[in-house]
Amino acid sequence: MTGFVVRRFGQAVVVMIIVSIVIFGILHALPGGLVRAQLGPRATAFSVHELTIQEGLNKPIVVQYGIWAWHALQGRLGFSYKLNESVGALLSQYLPRDLLLVGISLLLAIAIAVPLGLWQGYRRNRPDDHALSALMLVFYSMPSFLLGVILIVVLNIWVDVLPSTATNFGTGLGTDISVLALPVFALCLGNVSYFSRYMRSSTVDNLLSDHVRTALAKGASPRRLLLRHVLRNSLTSTVTLIGLTLPYVLSGSLIIEALFNYPGMGLLFWNAAQDRDFPVLLGVVLVVTVATVVGNLLADLGYAALDPRIRYK
Amino acid sequence: MKQRILDVEHLRTEFHLRSVNVAAVDDVSLTIDQGECVGLVGESGCGKSTTGLSIMRLLPRSGHVTSGRVLLDGRDLVPLSEAEMRQVRGRAVSMIFQDPMTSLNPTMTIGAQVAEPLVIHFGSSKKAALDRTLETLHLVGIPNPRERVDDYPHQLSGGLRQRVMIATALAAEPKLLIADEPTTALDVTIQAQILDLLDRLREELSMAVLLITHDMGVIAGRTDRVMVMYAGKMVEAATTDELFAATRHPYAEALLQSIPQLTQDASARLPSIPGHPPDLSRLPPGCRFAPRCRYASPACVEEPPLEEAAAGHLVACFHPVGVLPGSGAAAAWSAPGAPSGIPEPPLPPATTPLEPSGAPSRDGDPMPPDAATRRLALAAAPVLVEVDHLVKEYPVRGGGMRRRVGSVKAVSDVSFGIRRGETFGLVGESGCGKSTLGRMVAALERPTSGTVRLGGDELLRLRGADLRRRRRELQLMFQDPYASLDPRMRVGSILREPLVVQGVGDRRQQWETVASLLDEVGLSRRAVDLYPHEFSGGQRQRIGLARALTLNPRLVVADEPVSALDVSIQSQILNLMKALQRNHGLTYLVISHDLAVLRYLSDTIGVMYLGKMVELGAADDIYARPAHPYTHGLIQAIPVPDPSIEKAKRSAAVRGELPSAVNPPSGCRFRTRCPLAQEICAEEEPPLRGFGPGHVAACHFPLLSPSADQQAGGAPVVSVTSEPAPGAS
Ligand code: SF4
Ligand code: SF4
Repeated sequence: MTGFVVRRFGQAVVVMIIVSIVIFGILHALPGGLVRAQLGPRATAFSVHELTIQEGLNKPIVVQYGIWAWHALQGRLGFSYKLNESVGALLSQYLPRDLLLVGISLLLAIAIAVPLGLWQGYRRNRPDDHALSALMLVFYSMPSFLLGVILIVVLNIWVDVLPSTATNFGTGLGTDISVLALPVFALCLGNVSYFSRYMRSSTVDNLLSDHVRTALAKGASPRRLLLRHVLRNSLTSTVTLIGLTLPYVLSGSLIIEALFNYPGMGLLFWNAAQDRDFPVLLGVVLVVTVATVVGNLLADLGYAALDPRIRYK
Repeated sequence: MKQRILDVEHLRTEFHLRSVNVAAVDDVSLTIDQGECVGLVGESGCGKSTTGLSIMRLLPRSGHVTSGRVLLDGRDLVPLSEAEMRQVRGRAVSMIFQDPMTSLNPTMTIGAQVAEPLVIHFGSSKKAALDRTLETLHLVGIPNPRERVDDYPHQLSGGLRQRVMIATALAAEPKLLIADEPTTALDVTIQAQILDLLDRLREELSMAVLLITHDMGVIAGRTDRVMVMYAGKMVEAATTDELFAATRHPYAEALLQSIPQLTQDASARLPSIPGHPPDLSRLPPGCRFAPRCRYASPACVEEPPLEEAAAGHLVACFHPVGVLPGSGAAAAWSAPGAPSGIPEPPLPPATTPLEPSGAPSRDGDPMPPDAATRRLALAAAPVLVEVDHLVKEYPVRGGGMRRRVGSVKAVSDVSFGIRRGETFGLVGESGCGKSTLGRMVAALERPTSGTVRLGGDELLRLRGADLRRRRRELQLMFQDPYASLDPRMRVGSILREPLVVQGVGDRRQQWETVASLLDEVGLSRRAVDLYPHEFSGGQRQRIGLARALTLNPRLVVADEPVSALDVSIQSQILNLMKALQRNHGLTYLVISHDLAVLRYLSDTIGVMYLGKMVELGAADDIYARPAHPYTHGLIQAIPVPDPSIEKAKRSAAVRGELPSAVNPPSGCRFRTRCPLAQEICAEEEPPLRGFGPGHVAACHFPLLSPSADQQAGGAPVVSVTSEPAPGAS
C-alpha cells in the first residue's frame, strides 16, 4: 500500500509540474510577458523595468520559472488590474464557494446514484429498472445549463419556491441553502444519471459473477448479497469513473455559476474571459488543474482502499 | 442401511431461450446416501452442472425446475419459497465450483468468507465464528490458519484457494456437498491433493457428495456410483466398478475409449465420437445419441427407456454393448483403430470398427506408420529447431520507486532440439515456464540469454524479407482459438488473410487453398461464409489448425491445443493433428499440462519444473521408465479411468505446491516437494545424466540407474540435447 501511495503521489507531482510549465509558457507568450500580465497594459516603462528586476525576469528562463513557481506555491499568482486585487486574494475568496457547490453536488450525486444503480442492477430488466433507466437517460442527454434553465422555469417561475439567482449568497445559512438548491440540482442530476448507469452495469456484472453465486450457495439474502458482496466490488470501478469526471463537473460548474449568478470561480472566470484578464484566467486554470489532479489522486486511493488486490501489490 | 440424504425424482429443468423452451435436464433421477459419493459425468452442455444448480435452486433467471422432486432428508426442495430455500443453502446443502479464482469474493478476507455461512445460519458471534473458521481452515489443510484468516484470496495459490472454497462450503457442516468440477482448473498434482481432501472430509463428516465432472479418471477413483448424462438425459447409471467393468451404453463406451491413455498405442488412431452433442433446442427424435452412435438402428427413432440391464445397472439404449463377455470398455480400449467411414445404420454389431477421426471427408489418409518405422525415420531426420541454453527472466519491481528487486526465473538454461517431422511435447504444472519457452521458440518473446534456431537461422536476428519468409515457416495454435480469431471476419477471410498478406498466389488460387484446407481439417466448404461464433469449440480448433496451415509452415507451436475441449472432441483434434503432420511433414512443439495427451501425440517429451528441464526422452520411455521423481509423480497423479488402478492409489504423489520462481529452492528446485530429497539436493544442482538413448534426467537419486557412459547417454537420438550442464544457473 505505501509503495502504491508513494508512486501515485509521485505521479501527481509530475503532472502538476508539467501543467505549471505549460501555464508558465502561456504567461510568457502573452504580449508583454509576465510583467504586463501583472502590471496591466497601461503601466509606465519605469515600473515595468522595476518589476522586471524585482521579479528576476531578466534572468534565464529556467530561473524565471523557478521564481514564478515558488511564488505560485505561496499563492502569489499575479495581480488583476481589472479587479484591482491580487489573483491569490480573488481565488481565496471565490474558491471555497466552488468547493461548496461542486462538493455538495458531487456528494449528493454519489449518494443518490450508488443506491440507485445498485437497485437497478438488482432489478435489471424489470419494469421499474426500465422506467428509471429511461428517466436517467433524459437527464443524461441534457446539458447541465439546460437542466438549470428547466429548473428555473419550473421551480422559480411556475411555482416560486426557490430563488433563481444566487447573488445574495453569503447572507445567512437559510438563504444560502435556498440559494444553493437550484445550482446544486442542476449540476448533480446529470452526474446522477452518469454514475448510476455505471453503477448499474457494474452491479449487473458482479451479480452474474462466480463469487456472487458462491454467496448465494451459502444462503445469503439479497440484502446481504448487495451490501456485502456487490456494493464494494461495484464501487471500485465507479470510484475511478467519479475521479475521471471531475474536470467535467468543474467545467460544468463554470456554466451553472454564470447561469445562476453564483459568485464562484465560474463567474470569476466568465468575467475575466470577457475582459481578457489573463492573470485571473490562468489562476483559475491552475486551480482547476490542481483540483483535478487531487481528485484523481483521491479516486485512486479510494480504489486502492476498496480493492485489496491493488493494496497488496 | 445408510440414511438416504438426497433423492431426486424425475427432475426436469427448462430454460427459456428467446422464444423456445429447452429442457437442459430431462427426467433425471438419482439418490445419494450418507457418506456416499455419487459421480455425475458427461461432456459440457449435457446438463450435469444444471442438475447440481437445480438441486440448489440456483438456476439463472431463465431457468426453472418444471417437474420432479428433489427430496433432501425427505423434504421436497422444489416447492420451497426463496426464503425457505435460503435456509437450506449453505447449511443442509453446500456447493463448490470450478474456478476458485473467481468463485471467492476478491474484496473479502478468506476468514470472513468462511465465517459467512455461520453468521447467516447460526447468527454466530464474532468470536464463535472465528473459532469455527479457524477449525474449518485447519480441517481443509490450510497451514497456520490463524495467520491466514485475514488474507485475501489473491494472496493464496490456486490449490489453497480451492481449500478455502471447500472450507466455506463445510463451515456449517452440510449433509450434502455438491462439487461441480472442483479440480478442473487445477494442476494434476494439486487435483490429487484436493480430491484426497474431499475423500477424507466425506468420511470424517459422513457427508453425501455429488461429484460433477467430465473426467472419467476422477470418477473411477473417487465415486461409489456413477450416472452418465448426455444431452440432458441420463443414459447409464451403475456402481462405479460395474460401469467400468461392463459398460453398456454406446456413449459411455465411446467416451471411455476416446480418452488418451498413458498405456495407449501412440501409433494407433484414437477412437473418437464423430460430430458433437446436439443443440438442445433441436434435438433429434428418439435416442439423442443416435446421430453419433455407431450401433444406431431404425429402432432408435423411438426414445429408449431407462431400464435395468443388470441388477442396479440402468441403461437407456436399445442395443446395449458389452452383452458379449469381454467386450466391455476395458477390452475395447485395445481395439484397433482401423479407418472406415461412418457406418450406416443399421449396422449394429460390436465388431464394427470404430469411427476413425472427426474428419470423415479424408478417406485417403494413409494408415499411420508403426512406432518403430517412425522412430527410425525421425532419427535420420535433420534437426529443425535448436534450443540452446535458453534463459528467460522477468524483472520483479517493488517499493515506491519500482526498483528492480528480483526476477522471476521463468526459464533457466534449457536446451533441446526438435527433428524435422517430430512432435516434441513440453509438460509441466502451470508456472513451470513451458508456455514462456513455447513463446520464445515461436519468436514471440526475446530470451534473456541463449538462442533458438529454426533451420539453422536465429529468428530473432533476422530482418526484413528473411524474417517474413521465416515467419511463414512457423505458426501458432492456441488453447482457445476463439480468442485468436477475429469475430467480425468470416472464416473464409480469416483463412485467406495470411495468403493475402504474404502475397501468395492470385485470388482464385487463394480461394482454392482455403477450400482444400477446409476439406483437410474436416469442415464443410460452406464454412467460408460463417463467422467464428457460429462454430463449436472443436470446430473452431479445426479453423485454428487450418489457419496455422495456410502458409504451409514447417513448425507449428501448439499451446494447450485441446485442453479447452471435451474428450470426444479432443480425440478428433488429436487424430487430425497427427494426420496433418503425416500429410504435410509438420514438426510440432506441443505444450500441455496433460501428460496422457502428450504421450499420445509426441515422439519426445520434455518435463519442466520451475523453469528447469528435469527430464527429457522418448515419450514411451518417459512414461514406462521415468527417472525423475517429479515425472513419476506427474504420471501417478493422472487419474486413470480404471477403478482398480485409481482406488489402489492412496495419497497424492506430489506433495505441496509449486514454490515461487522468484526465489527457487537452492540445488534441485524440486527438493521442497520431493519424497527422495536428501541434504545434497539442497546444496548441489543435479546435472542432466543419461538413462539410455535419448533419455536424460536431472536428479541426484534417480529412480533408474544412470547409463554407464554418461556422455553417450546425454546425447539423445531422437532429439539433440546439449551436453549436461552442471551447475549452470
Ligand atoms: S444403439 Fe440406438 S438407442 Fe442405443 S445409444 Fe445408439 S442410437 Fe441410442
Ligand atoms: S535431486 Fe534430490 S530433490 Fe531433486 S528430484 Fe532428485 S532426489 Fe529429489
